[in-house]
Amino acid sequence: MVSFFKQKRQMKQRDAKKEDQGQSKTVDYIESSLSANMEIVKQKTGDSPDIIIRTLKISQDPEIKTTIVYVQGLIDNPSVTDFLIESIMKNPHLSEKILPQKALEVITEDVVSLGGVATVNDWEKLFLSLLSGDSIIFVDGINTALVASTKGGERRSIQEPSTHLTVRGSREGFTESNVTNIAMLRRIINSPDLWIESMKIGTVTKTDVSIMYINGIVKKEIVEEVKKRLKRINIDSILESGYIEQLIEDQVMTPFPTLNHTERPDMVAGNLLEGRVAIFVNGTPFVLVAPALFVQFFQSVEDYYNRFDIATATRFLRIIVFIISVVGPALYVAATTFHQEMIPTKLLVIVAAQRETVPLPAVIEALLMEITFEILREASLRMPKAVGSTMSIVGALVIGQAAVQAGIVSPAMVIIVSITAIASFATPSYSIAISARLVRFAFILCAGIIGFYGMILAFIILIVHLCSLRSFGVPYMSPLAPLNTQGLGDTFFRRPMWAFKERPKLISSKNNLKREGENQRPLPPESRGMKTSTERKGDGNES
Amino acid sequence: MNRKRLVLLLMLMGTTFTSGCWDKTELNEMAIVSAVGIDKNEAGRLVGTFQIINPVNVAGSLQGGGGTNPSISIYRATGDNVLELDSNASTKISRDMYFAHANLVVIGEDVAKEMGINSIFDAFERSPEFRATTRIVIARGVKAKDLVETLTAIDKVSAEKVIKTIESTEKQQGGSITINLQEVIKNLVSSGKEPLISGFTVRGNTNKESKIENTQTSNMAANPNAVGIGVFKDGKLIDWLDGNQAKGTMWVLDRIVNTNVNIDWEGKKDAVTYQVLRQKTNVKPKMKNGKPKMYITVRAEGDIREVNAPIDLASPHGSIDIEKKLAKDIKKDMEDAIKLAQKNKSDIFGFGELIHETHPAYWKKHEKDWDDVTFPKLEAEVQVEVFIRRTGIRNKPYLLDIKKGDQ
Repeated sequence: MVSFFKQKRQMKQRDAKKEDQGQSKTVDYIESSLSANMEIVKQKTGDSPDIIIRTLKISQDPEIKTTIVYVQGLIDNPSVTDFLIESIMKNPHLSEKILPQKALEVITEDVVSLGGVATVNDWEKLFLSLLSGDSIIFVDGINTALVASTKGGERRSIQEPSTHLTVRGSREGFTESNVTNIAMLRRIINSPDLWIESMKIGTVTKTDVSIMYINGIVKKEIVEEVKKRLKRINIDSILESGYIEQLIEDQVMTPFPTLNHTERPDMVAGNLLEGRVAIFVNGTPFVLVAPALFVQFFQSVEDYYNRFDIATATRFLRIIVFIISVVGPALYVAATTFHQEMIPTKLLVIVAAQRETVPLPAVIEALLMEITFEILREASLRMPKAVGSTMSIVGALVIGQAAVQAGIVSPAMVIIVSITAIASFATPSYSIAISARLVRFAFILCAGIIGFYGMILAFIILIVHLCSLRSFGVPYMSPLAPLNTQGLGDTFFRRPMWAFKERPKLISSKNNLKREGENQRPLPPESRGMKTSTERKGDGNES
Repeated sequence: MNRKRLVLLLMLMGTTFTSGCWDKTELNEMAIVSAVGIDKNEAGRLVGTFQIINPVNVAGSLQGGGGTNPSISIYRATGDNVLELDSNASTKISRDMYFAHANLVVIGEDVAKEMGINSIFDAFERSPEFRATTRIVIARGVKAKDLVETLTAIDKVSAEKVIKTIESTEKQQGGSITINLQEVIKNLVSSGKEPLISGFTVRGNTNKESKIENTQTSNMAANPNAVGIGVFKDGKLIDWLDGNQAKGTMWVLDRIVNTNVNIDWEGKKDAVTYQVLRQKTNVKPKMKNGKPKMYITVRAEGDIREVNAPIDLASPHGSIDIEKKLAKDIKKDMEDAIKLAQKNKSDIFGFGELIHETHPAYWKKHEKDWDDVTFPKLEAEVQVEVFIRRTGIRNKPYLLDIKKGDQ
């Protein structure tokens, strides 16, 4: 609905950015004098105490000064002490006479026993490496420095994810480290086609952002689009994947998420295998997945682990849950203030009896209760755990008991709000649950103004809006709209695993849609009767 | 361009607000009417009695208390037409009367007999609130207000009690007929069918029916009862069908569900009780010598529920004899009902409609004098087939063993 407002503004911004990027930067190169270099390091980092500068002497006649620079806490201590400092100090090659010009070569080839060693000669790259945990080796008289990969330091270990919990399935959740996260995916998908591209985003934070996709399955255009949008970002900091999400989504003015995020490696793997692109952001366990479809937010990885009938049933339940969480209170408001004839007489009498003492109109009552619930929810999220239980008691007592007994709210409304609240938590994706909560208020207002008519109007607007959304060029409501009968098998239904013949058409590459071979349906052995009878004879353990 | 769109959008949004809350009524601003009674006073004006649900007292224990106060309140108004009753009642009621849950319209016997019901239903049918499925009953022997006022015990709202009673009487006994507004109007309009409306009365101490004490005893002083079916002709009540006449009528109308049929056995009255489980009545008109004749065939299936005579049900003769006797009794009831209708000159069975459907040419000729000339002379042949499906969980009655022991 709002897309036409924003197009022009975006165009202007784009133009502005192009100009920015057009300005050429001057590159600073490393000096050959060690002391000068050290001065620059100290000056650039403000002589921060966690930047360790260790000076060693190598070679004899003349002695060559060598300096190792690293950041405390970011490096892996054993590798720096054992494989860098100790090797340099004790290596026989270095106690011989070496020409200063050759020192770097010797250190690289004969001394340092680390995996990644590279040379740099400009300061920008050098600091990037230094501050991401590498150790830098300067040699006096040489205007090139050596970067030894010593990344390490304290990190959170792999734990069970706190969102998208499942009964069945992997217990691993992503961590804050990109390296670990990418490795977790590598462990799941052992294919050279799993391609990763890295970039640094954030002019100050220089956050490591990687995109991952499976070459051959992914649609080229989508990868290009993702890369284009990521490259466009020009911001000082990326502190969480939410930053990226908000900067690359298709439609800004919508309560609905057009990118999915998850903490589960198996979920990312499943999405990659459908041709989606994952965006890993260092510093957060939440990995973005694009493009995201509306139906995806009602799916859980467990749907694929459970058998199809159970999965289908739960998906239907989730749709019902979503509808309840959107229209629940609105339905009650509309029915009790506009359409009393639709309520069975007995129920109407009971509701009317409860409302007899309530001083507020039903709309206001609904809004009041919904807001109270939102306050409770927000408070319980942010509060220290020790206080949380006190608050839930107060909330339950104040709202559930006192307000009803005082006759300020009707018990029916408390029931409706509680059901809605539970329903909004039963939606598998947190991001769509938040959207539902937001939309719910609009529905309550519409229902309060013109009853079911208003709700239908709101519903039409909602559907039109959902259909107008795109996620990286893919229609948000697909495969429902545009309808794709093949794709319907993995929406509100989940077709049996042996019938999952194709990948989603709009997302995966057209040349590689086939997912499984023919005749995957499991069958009992042909000679079942015979076999069981012989087995029975041979098996003497029964009695 | 964008500005135009913005203006359009705002205008569209504005329209939703201009409509306002035109239909909005909070539940505690409305009076839920559960039943409407229509009587006639000496001056010939209509007297409306509105039964309004008192939700707090119906819902009872919820807010504590409750139950001790009457669950309904009665408001009365006088007027010349139905809508006037409604508007005159508003001088007495603090809230808007809401008719969407008025499930019962009670018409006083004097209204039905003297004024006729033709002019009453338009307001009900035209009102958007009133339901087409609202049930209609005639207050027999009492005023409609007496019935509407009565406090009842189990179903706290007496309208509900009346409706349920008629439904269960129709189902269990076949002595009442559930009929709603729509059907009554349809039958009034049709020249080939006259409406039947159930009668309802208040038995017992009719001064106490509106007092709360009425519900506080186990044996209510005043209790609404279903009694018979009213026969209408040209919109006026002309006769009442009771007992076997009512049952016979229901058999012909194919509306029997579960009724019990009693037959005498070897001089003992009502010795065997047969409960119909399912039945089907087919009515087919056939032309004979230029005159229509109705062929009515009934196939009934049911259980033996009581045998107070030494009959050997296990032997085929025993049950066949009972089946024959049952068929004969049912046939007699039906023939009596048809004869009575012919005597009343009121085609309550809709034979006229059937002839209209099957022999339109004949119908065209006789439509005008159908009720008064043709219908009373109409020949009808009734055939009844009865089948005993089960005999309960016992075969031979124990009476048979007692008799044998005596010998």
